[in-house]
Amino acid sequence: MRCHVAAVLGLALLATPAASRAQEAATPVPASSAEASPKRVRDSCLDCHRRLEDPRLSGPTKKFDVDIHFVRGLGCSGCHGGNPADPEMTAMDPDKGFRGKPERAQIAELCASCHANAAYMKHYNPRPYIFSMDEFRTSVHCKKISEGDLKVATCTNCHGVHGILPPRDPASPVYPKNVAATCSHCHNAEYMKGRTVPTNQYSLWVGSVHGKALLEKGDLSAPACNDCHGNHGAVPPKVRDVTLVCGTCHGREAELFENSPVKKAMEDQGKRACVTCHGNHGVQHPTDDMLLSGRLGVCGQCHKPGSPGERASETIIARFRGLLGRISDGDSLLALAERRGMETGVGRAAWREAQDHVINVRAAIHSFDFAQISTVLADGEKTADAGLGHARTALRDWRTRRVGMALSLGVILVLIGLLALRVRRLDAGASPSA
Amino acid sequence: MKRREFLDWLTRIVGATVGAFVAYPVVRYLVPPPTPEAATRRVVAARKDEVAPGAFKIFPFGGRPGILIRSADGGYRALSAECTHLGCTVQYNGANKNIWCACHNGVYDLEGRNVSGPPPRPLERYDVHVMGDEVVVEKPVAK
Amino acid sequence: MKFAFRTWLAERLSLEPLLHLAQKKEVPVHRHTFWYYWGGMTLFLFGVQVATGILLLLYYRASADEAYESVRFIMTQVEFGWLIRSIHSWSANLMIGAAMIHMFSVFLLKAYRAPREVTWLTGIALLGLSFTFGFSGYLLPWNQLAFFATKVGADITGDLPLVGGFLRKFLLGGDQITGGTLTRFFGIHVAILPALATALVGLHVYLVQAHGMSVPPSVESGGAPVRRMKFVPNFVLRDAIGWLAALGMLALLAALFPWELGVKADPYAPAPPGIRPEWYFGWMFQTLRMLPSRILGIEGELVGILAIGAGATVWVIAPFLDDRQGRGARARFWTVAGVFAIVYIVAFTLMVYMGGHR
Repeated sequence: MRCHVAAVLGLALLATPAASRAQEAATPVPASSAEASPKRVRDSCLDCHRRLEDPRLSGPTKKFDVDIHFVRGLGCSGCHGGNPADPEMTAMDPDKGFRGKPERAQIAELCASCHANAAYMKHYNPRPYIFSMDEFRTSVHCKKISEGDLKVATCTNCHGVHGILPPRDPASPVYPKNVAATCSHCHNAEYMKGRTVPTNQYSLWVGSVHGKALLEKGDLSAPACNDCHGNHGAVPPKVRDVTLVCGTCHGREAELFENSPVKKAMEDQGKRACVTCHGNHGVQHPTDDMLLSGRLGVCGQCHKPGSPGERASETIIARFRGLLGRISDGDSLLALAERRGMETGVGRAAWREAQDHVINVRAAIHSFDFAQISTVLADGEKTADAGLGHARTALRDWRTRRVGMALSLGVILVLIGLLALRVRRLDAGASPSA
Repeated sequence: MKRREFLDWLTRIVGATVGAFVAYPVVRYLVPPPTPEAATRRVVAARKDEVAPGAFKIFPFGGRPGILIRSADGGYRALSAECTHLGCTVQYNGANKNIWCACHNGVYDLEGRNVSGPPPRPLERYDVHVMGDEVVVEKPVAK
Repeated sequence: MKFAFRTWLAERLSLEPLLHLAQKKEVPVHRHTFWYYWGGMTLFLFGVQVATGILLLLYYRASADEAYESVRFIMTQVEFGWLIRSIHSWSANLMIGAAMIHMFSVFLLKAYRAPREVTWLTGIALLGLSFTFGFSGYLLPWNQLAFFATKVGADITGDLPLVGGFLRKFLLGGDQITGGTLTRFFGIHVAILPALATALVGLHVYLVQAHGMSVPPSVESGGAPVRRMKFVPNFVLRDAIGWLAALGMLALLAALFPWELGVKADPYAPAPPGIRPEWYFGWMFQTLRMLPSRILGIEGELVGILAIGAGATVWVIAPFLDDRQGRGARARFWTVAGVFAIVYIVAFTLMVYMGGHR
C-alpha cells in the first residue's frame, strides 16, 4: 500500500536530525533535544509566521499555544523539521531536514512515528495510549487513502492539526460529546455525494437514546460513533459483530441472546442481530409496543401466523401484557386507597418491585426461551399480586374503619338519646334513682 | 317504675359500651407493634441463617433497595442496591465476588467502589450487626 | 349498712366541701342558656387533646431526621395510630373553634361585666395559649405544608415593630427553621404550654365557680325572676350529651377525613403554592394580604399588624370600657362592635379558602 511506502520514506527523513536523541532510544525520534525540554525555547517558526499577513501561513500559529504538543515541548519542527533556532529563511532548508507540509497520505505514519512508539510515549505519560498502525490499516479510512482516495479522514481531520487538545479536554473535537459531530463533518449527504454509504447516521444518532443520553443527560458512558465502530479502525460491524458491539454494555441481553435459537436463525439469514429489532444509529428506548401481536410488534415481522414461533411469541406476549395489566391495576387501587387517606407504603414498595421484575422480563425476552421467560414472568406476577393484595387490604381496612365508625356513632347516638330521655324526666320533676 | 329502671339499666349498659369503644383502641394502641420503630436508619434485613454463605438478599430499607451479602466465611456486608448509573437494582456475583448491575454491565467491588462500566459513584455502605437471630442493617453514623 | 366506696373516698379526700358546692350550684335557664355549654365543650376537647397527645408521645420523635417517619409509623404500623393522630389533629381545630364560639358568646352576652373581668382576661390568655398550641403542634409532623406555613407565620412575627426580630429568633431557635426549631416547638408544645394551661384553666374554672354563671342583661332587665336548674345532674347531663356529640363528630371526621401525612419537609425545595397558616390565623393573614404595600408612607403590612394589634387590645379591655351594668347606649355600641368583629373574622376566614388572593 502506498501509505506503507510513504512511511518508510518519512522515517528515513526523520532519522537524520535526531542523532543526538538517538542515544536515548534506539528508535528514531523527531524532536531535537532543545525542543524536547518542557520549557518553551525561542521558536523562530512561530515568531516569523505569526507576523505574516497571508492567512495560509499565519493561520496555524493562532491556536498553537494550546496545542498539547507545543505545551509538552514539541514545536513546529517536531513534525515539519527545520531549525527553530535560525531566524532566517535558512531555517527552512530541506538539506537541513525541513520537510514542509506532509503529503496527506503520509500523515498517519508521521503521527505514528511518535504515537506508535511505546518507549517514546512513556516519556510523556507512564500510561500512554499507543497508537497502532496495524489497527488503523484495518479501517476503511486507511484503505481508501492507500487506494488514492484522499477525501477520507486521517489523523488531522478528527484531532485537529495546529491546536490539538487531548481527548479528555471538553473542547477537543474527539471529546466524547463532540465525536459524533466531528464524524458528521464528512459523513453527511453533501460531502458523501457520489458515494454509496448512507448519510443519515448523525441525525439518527442525535435523536437516539444514546445520543440523548450523551448530549442531553451528559452520561459519558453512552456510546458515540467510536464506541461501536472503533477509534482508529473504523469499520461497520458485520452480522455477528453486532451482538459483540452492543454486548459490551448490554451484556446481559447479549449473553441471553448468544444462547438463544434466534441468534443462529438470524445469522443464517444474514440478518444483523440487535439491529433487526432495535435499529442501530437511531435506536430508541424500547417500548412495550414492540411486544404487540402480529405485525404490530417485532416478533410478527418474521414469524408467520400459525408457525410454532408465532404461537410461542403470542403466548409470551399475552402473559406479558397480563402482567402489565396487573401492575396497572395495582397502581389504580393503590392510588384509590391513597385518595381515601390510607397509607400504602408497603403496597407501593411491592408494586415498585413488580416493576423491577418487568425490567427482568424485558431482558429475559432476549433468551427467546419459553421456559426461562415464563419463570421470570411468574416472579413478576407474584410481586404484582403482592402489591394488589396490599392495596386490597388497605381498601378493606378503609371499609372496616367506616363500619367501626358507624357502629360507634350508633352507640353514641343511642346513649345521647337515653340521656336526653333522662334529662326530660329530670326536668319534669321526678327524682332520678340513685 | 319498671320502665325507668329499665332505661337506667340500659343507659348504664350503653354507657359502658361507649366506654369500651373508647378504651379498646387506646389499649390496642398502647401495645407495641411488631416493629418497634420506623425503619429509617435501622432495619432487620434477614433472619440469622436465612442467607447462605456466598448468597445475597435484596431487602427494603427506607423505601429503597439494599443488598445483604454473606461471604464464604459467614460474615455479612450490606450496601445500597440502587445502581448509581440509572437506578437499577444490583445483584451479587458469587463467582467473581463482585456486585453487578445487569442493566448496563456496571460492576462494583465488595467495598461498593465502582470499578467498571458506567456507574459514576460507589454504592453507599451500611453497618451490619448480628443481634440474636436477626441480621440488623444500620446506616452508619458520622463519626 | 352497705359499704359505699364513694363515701369512704370522699371522706379520705376531704371532698365534702366540693361535693356540697357541686350540689348547690345552679345554672340560669333562659333563651341564651345554650351558650353556657361552650366553655365546658372547650374543656372537654382540651381533655381529648391531652389524652391523645400523651398517647402520641409514646411513639413520636422530635428530630428533623425522624419526626416525619415516626408520624408515618404511627399512621401505618401502630394499631389505631391513625385514629389517635387524626383525632388529635381534628380536635385541635374543634377546640379552637369552640373556644372562639365561647369567647364571642361571652362577649355578646356581656358575661365579662364586673366582677368577672379577671375571668375574661384569663380566658383571653387561654385563647392565646390555644393559638400557640396550634402553631407549635402544626410543625411537629415536619411535612412541607407545615414547614412553610410555620415559615410564613414566623416571618409575620418578625415584622412586629421593635420586638419582632428578637421574637422570631427566640421562636425559631435561630434565624431559620431547623431541627432546633422542631425540638424547641416540641418542648413548648408538650411541657411549657401544658403547664401554663393547667394553671390558667384551674384559675379560670375556679373563678367561674366562685362567681357563678352570669345572666345576660337582656334577661335581667326582663323583670321576672330567672329560672334555674341544678348543675348536678341536670346541667351536667346536658353537658355530657354535648360531649358525646363532639366525640361522635371526632370519630366521623377521623374516619371520613383522615389527617394527611403530606410530604417530608425539604428546606431547599421551593415553597408549595398556596401556602397559608392554619384557619384560625386566616383572617389576620387575609387582612395583611389585602393591604396595599404602602399606606401613608408606612409599609402596608406594618400598618396591618398595628391595626390588628390595636383591635385586639381594644377587644381585650372591652370589659373596662363597656357600661358596668351592660345597659344603655354604650352597651349597645359594644354589642354592635362585637357583631362587627365576628362578621369580619368569619368573612375574612372564608375569603382565605375561596381564593381571596389579590
